[in-house]
Amino acid sequence: MSTTTYDVDDAFAANELFQDRGWTDGLPITPPTEKLVRAFLDAAHLAAEDVVGVEPVRRRRITAEKVAIAAVMAGCRAEYMPVVLAVVRAVCAPEFGLHGTTASTGGSAQFIVVNGPIRRALGMNATHNALANASRANATIGRVPRLLILNVLGGTPGRLDRSTLGHPGKFTFCVAEDEEDHPWMPLAAERGVPAGGSAVTVLAAGAPHQLMNEWTRDPRELLETYAATMRANLLTYSIWPGNYAVVIGRQHRDVLLAAGWSKRDVREYVHERARVRRGEWHGVGKAAVVGRKADDVHPALRTPDDLLVVAAGGPAGGFGAVVPPWYAEKSLAVTVPVETRGEAT
Amino acid sequence: MTIRVLDPRLDPDLEPLTLAPPVAALAGATLGLLDNTKIGTARFYDHLEALLRRHGVREVIRRRKPDASRPAPPALLDDLATADGVISGIGD
Repeated sequence: MSTTTYDVDDAFAANELFQDRGWTDGLPITPPTEKLVRAFLDAAHLAAEDVVGVEPVRRRRITAEKVAIAAVMAGCRAEYMPVVLAVVRAVCAPEFGLHGTTASTGGSAQFIVVNGPIRRALGMNATHNALANASRANATIGRVPRLLILNVLGGTPGRLDRSTLGHPGKFTFCVAEDEEDHPWMPLAAERGVPAGGSAVTVLAAGAPHQLMNEWTRDPRELLETYAATMRANLLTYSIWPGNYAVVIGRQHRDVLLAAGWSKRDVREYVHERARVRRGEWHGVGKAAVVGRKADDVHPALRTPDDLLVVAAGGPAGGFGAVVPPWYAEKSLAVTVPVETRGEAT
Repeated sequence: MTIRVLDPRLDPDLEPLTLAPPVAALAGATLGLLDNTKIGTARFYDHLEALLRRHGVREVIRRRKPDASRPAPPALLDDLATADGVISGIGD
């Protein structure tokens, strides 16, 4: 390995060094020793200098060694590496627009959805507290892209990270889809990954907006609550269409499934309903930018396929969430299969 | 007993970056202005262009990126490459 090394007294001192140098997100790190980094590279069957991805704007090469260092720091286990690598490949896709999403004042995070058998193999959580901290794998895999942006891509706040506010998902924002308790097609399968395969889908996203409706059995009424949340985002954040994700808890899925609705039905209904007139900006303090186009209609989704429908959450509670895009179609969701030894799992 | 940890940062010497030589004089020079499409850039460049011309700049090549968040297309950069120097708008 060619990387510079530092000798410190112990793990506590290593964390102090990384905190003092600005090499972490403020949370403690696991010290990336040569032995650990080597074990992570071995688990991924990669050499230190192998290039995992290239950030397309500044052409920074993200090597396997730096990915392994970030994964160790984040608290991952070595067997998480195939998922971590898929995430890095996804965010380096040109259509993801990683540099813009990072440098923007808009302050997005990488929202990661994991599908397939790898979820269970790694003990990922898809049920209680699905969008938060219920599993080491979710928490630490989701932390890796931020550490790479910080250390490899120069995304230090105030330098190349120019976020005005950011949001807590920038620490970690990784969910596994619940594929076990319903007949819906997994997100990755809907996006072209062969059935039974594992994959990650990554979206440059704002903070999740939690919604509640426990008072209807009508799928249209229920989805109206999701559409209303998206309309609010169109009016109060950005009116331009792009990829949105909706995370649908089990109680809401039960309503939709009882009515025979598929994910496609959900997407088509929300596509029709999540739209606003530009003139509605009058009611939210943005009258200055309505101009002469008050009757123009702005949909949240360009097509129904722009909506990522994710099943996750605990068994009780009429809750769901809308995860909005960073900024329109300037960054699109990317799905990448998880590979082990060159084979999709 | 000490432990040895690895540097998490990009190895800086893997990506050498060099600055172009400075423009020797504005008088008679050709300068490029790259617009990043952010609000205000065009008006700012209007003033800048007038200022540069007062200082004797002979030609100003103005180009606008199609998108603020993505790199300028190669053909656009080729146009700007004919200038003696380029001013690139960054940020808002």
